[in-house]
Amino acid sequence: MGNNNSNHGYARPKSLANKIHIDVPLLCGLLALMVISMVVIYGASGQSERMIERQTIHIGLSLFIMFIVAQCPPSTMRRWAFPVFAIGVVLLVFTLLFGHVGKGAQRWIDFHFFKFQPSEVMKLILPIVVAHYITRYALPPKLKHVAIGFIIVLIPTLLIAKQPDLGTSILIASSGIFALFLAGMSWRIITALGVAVSAFIPVLWYFLMHDYQRRRVLTFLNPESDPLNSGYHIIQSKIAIGSGGIFGKGWLNGTQSQLEFLPERHTDFIFSVLSEEFGLVGVIGLLSVYLFVISRGLYIAAKAQDAFARILAGAITLTFFVYVFVNIGMVSGLLPVVGVPLPLISYGGTSMISLMIGFGIIMSIHTHRKFNK
Amino acid sequence: MSKQAKVNKKPKVITWRLYLVVVVIIAVFVAIASRAAFLQVIESENLKNQGDRRSERTIVSQSHRGNIVDRHGTALAVSVPVQIVWSDPKIVHEKNGLVDKRRWQALADVLDRPVEKLLSAVKNPNRRFVYLKRQVSPAQADYIKQLKIPGIFLKPSSRRYYPTGEITAHVVGYTNIDDEGKNGIERSFDEWLTGEPTKRKVRKSRDGMVVERLSTVEEGEHANDVVISIDQRIQAIAYKELKTATEYHRATSGSVVVLDVKTGEILAMVNTPSYNPNNRRTMNAYKLRNRAITDTFEPGSTIKPLAAMTALDFGEYKVDSMINTSPGWYRLGANRIRDPRNLGKVDIATIIAKSSNVGISKLALSVPKEQFLTSFYAMGFGSHTNVTLPVESPGVLRERRRWSDFELATLSFGYGMAVTPLQLARAYSVIANDGKLNPISILKLDKAPQGEQVVSPEIAQAMLQMMEGVTKAGGTALKARIGGYRVAGKTGTARKAVAGGYGDDYVVSFAGIAPIDNPRLVTIVIINEPKGDKYYGGDVAAPVFAKVTTGALQLLNVAPSKTVTVPMKLARLSSPEHRSIEGRLYEQ
Repeated sequence: MGNNNSNHGYARPKSLANKIHIDVPLLCGLLALMVISMVVIYGASGQSERMIERQTIHIGLSLFIMFIVAQCPPSTMRRWAFPVFAIGVVLLVFTLLFGHVGKGAQRWIDFHFFKFQPSEVMKLILPIVVAHYITRYALPPKLKHVAIGFIIVLIPTLLIAKQPDLGTSILIASSGIFALFLAGMSWRIITALGVAVSAFIPVLWYFLMHDYQRRRVLTFLNPESDPLNSGYHIIQSKIAIGSGGIFGKGWLNGTQSQLEFLPERHTDFIFSVLSEEFGLVGVIGLLSVYLFVISRGLYIAAKAQDAFARILAGAITLTFFVYVFVNIGMVSGLLPVVGVPLPLISYGGTSMISLMIGFGIIMSIHTHRKFNK
Repeated sequence: MSKQAKVNKKPKVITWRLYLVVVVIIAVFVAIASRAAFLQVIESENLKNQGDRRSERTIVSQSHRGNIVDRHGTALAVSVPVQIVWSDPKIVHEKNGLVDKRRWQALADVLDRPVEKLLSAVKNPNRRFVYLKRQVSPAQADYIKQLKIPGIFLKPSSRRYYPTGEITAHVVGYTNIDDEGKNGIERSFDEWLTGEPTKRKVRKSRDGMVVERLSTVEEGEHANDVVISIDQRIQAIAYKELKTATEYHRATSGSVVVLDVKTGEILAMVNTPSYNPNNRRTMNAYKLRNRAITDTFEPGSTIKPLAAMTALDFGEYKVDSMINTSPGWYRLGANRIRDPRNLGKVDIATIIAKSSNVGISKLALSVPKEQFLTSFYAMGFGSHTNVTLPVESPGVLRERRRWSDFELATLSFGYGMAVTPLQLARAYSVIANDGKLNPISILKLDKAPQGEQVVSPEIAQAMLQMMEGVTKAGGTALKARIGGYRVAGKTGTARKAVAGGYGDDYVVSFAGIAPIDNPRLVTIVIINEPKGDKYYGGDVAAPVFAKVTTGALQLLNVAPSKTVTVPMKLARLSSPEHRSIEGRLYEQ
């Protein structure tokens, strides 16, 4: 463990990066992903300079916000966790009641000059709240605390699922559950939970899921059953990935992606564009960068000084990992279609800012370690 | 905030879980990478094919149908751009296109169709394609575009337009609404005019834009123009004169053919009744026939010069032989051949000029029977002219094992056989072209074809000179004379065969050659069933010949003949004394 490398009597001299609370390896990994993002979006958008311009703004803004968040020590986060969570829940309820309807779902609050998605806030605050709550008591947590932790997780999850936004609610639930898991939730509870979830699936299927969600799952199981409507996205995406071959068709040469056969090709399905243009080589390259970012996050979690920091860093990293897995699994036909963008690669500001806030928290955790007391 | 001092009470448990997480993450990454490898290596070809099936399309590019022009380039058939108005009822319903009824009313007005019909055409939302109107002019199409009714679309197309209308209707033919040639040149040269569409493999995006040209599957041929041998100016004169004569004599139909003697090209070919190919409502079946090649008639006396040539070539008579036609009739077995009056002992020129049945029968019977028929076949009777126009009749000239003298004699004055006007024109071109038979062409030729010598040049030349007598005093067709030119010709007035014999209707004809000095034109005029007092070839057909030929010779800048003939006025004063009514002149 990191803090066992005792430095007796004096503080280790801090590097410049440490002083401004930046973790250089993690930052390098993130920047690499952003460069890939620009390259692929340029192709996927049909070489739209306007999109590149806007994505540059998204990247700059999210880097800046990450930097601000990194300055803020973990203790401050703990202090603000519950109030912000409460505000988040209120906003979610508000969204459900008065939110802006777009693409069949109520996800946004329209502030006229910009649209605000409260679920993004919740994505960040939930692991903090759960980590904060669970570490107030002795670890491993007691059943009672685990139960309350679950309630904290369930409230926003259900509110978001109601919007309906299945993808985000799964991500949020997993971020909370990861926190509980890392806190040392006993295996008996995990097993019980697994049984409960399996029992819950029929309920979910028959009572909670919307028609379009059910159709998506059915389509996932057999996309060729409905190639014109629901199965269309998956088939087109698989075609695009497959036609890339080992070395790909080359940048800007992807026909399936350029031909508008591929839906949402600069957002959710951007992985297919990358696969077609850069082939298996490109896919493995991208996965390597992701793996590097995730391992750095886990390394920081392992080096963290207290349980809160460790649980938080671990949960954020794992959520990021779930993002990657759900998106790639979806576009390659391993998972049903849920609207989850490919983290840091897909075009879009909201998701990138919230992800970078997460990495800001991780950097803050790593750079605010105290070596001597 | 409660501060927790008991940090990391059991850190090992959590560390152990982190390791588990790492293992899971690596496993998942391996799974994703294997999935990608599966799709991109093993399934790659299969998926590429599927992708191609979705994006590769073969497009067929069809150019406009070629034009048909006359020998001087005058347009006879052209394609003009029009638009097809069609609808996708599904889109109409999806986008609530039926809401604004005013727009539909406006559409109905511009398309000239009742609005209820349009609405019922798009009623079924499951249909994806309905024609609303084809061949809409560009101006109307613009208006329809501005109506902006969802689900209404335009598609470019072309429409055939015939600037010369009914004048060239039979030769040029017409196309149907799908631009397929259905008659005339349009039909026989359909492929040439259409060309072959070029098929190209392209990649199309989902919205139908061509983003990549892959390969040419089938190289097509450009649509070609057809240059036909018709001289539109002569054609127009011929049609005008024929139509006037047809109406004046209340005839049922008529044809005029003008041939270029030297090349065998058809310079004019007109028929009455005709139709306007631009207005399909005037197109009745009986008007559509190109009678100059589809209809046959018994030629009557116009055959006589040809029979006489055969007799000179193979029989015992010479150009200056005298034939005794007394006493004006000639008994052959049970039948008698008659002349209108006893001409006495006359030469061949007189037989032609006065159209003596007795004389020509005696000439014909001097020829061996097989030779006589062989000559007629050689001059093209009984066989197609092979002019490249649809539905040509070969005429009737039967191959028989035994011909009686009488039957052979009737052939010599044009009964017992049937010819088309074009066949008769071809046979006359033998006389005009020094005994050579040229193939007939409706296409403009670059150089004169090699003709086939079917009659010796001297005999053909002699016959040409004799035939001038027809248009001179004492001949049957003074009205065929032309100021400034010497012409040769022969009249024909034949009774029409009806069931069981010959009826009271006539088909009258005049076949002429001009000018005699250096023949350029053969002109055949046929008028079918003229009513009224005048029903002789010399009265009905010969004037048409004179007018058409005069116009044609002037248009072709043919030098006038050196020996000037009697002017028209004088000719008209002396009415012809002798006429032959061949139909009545024999009894069975």
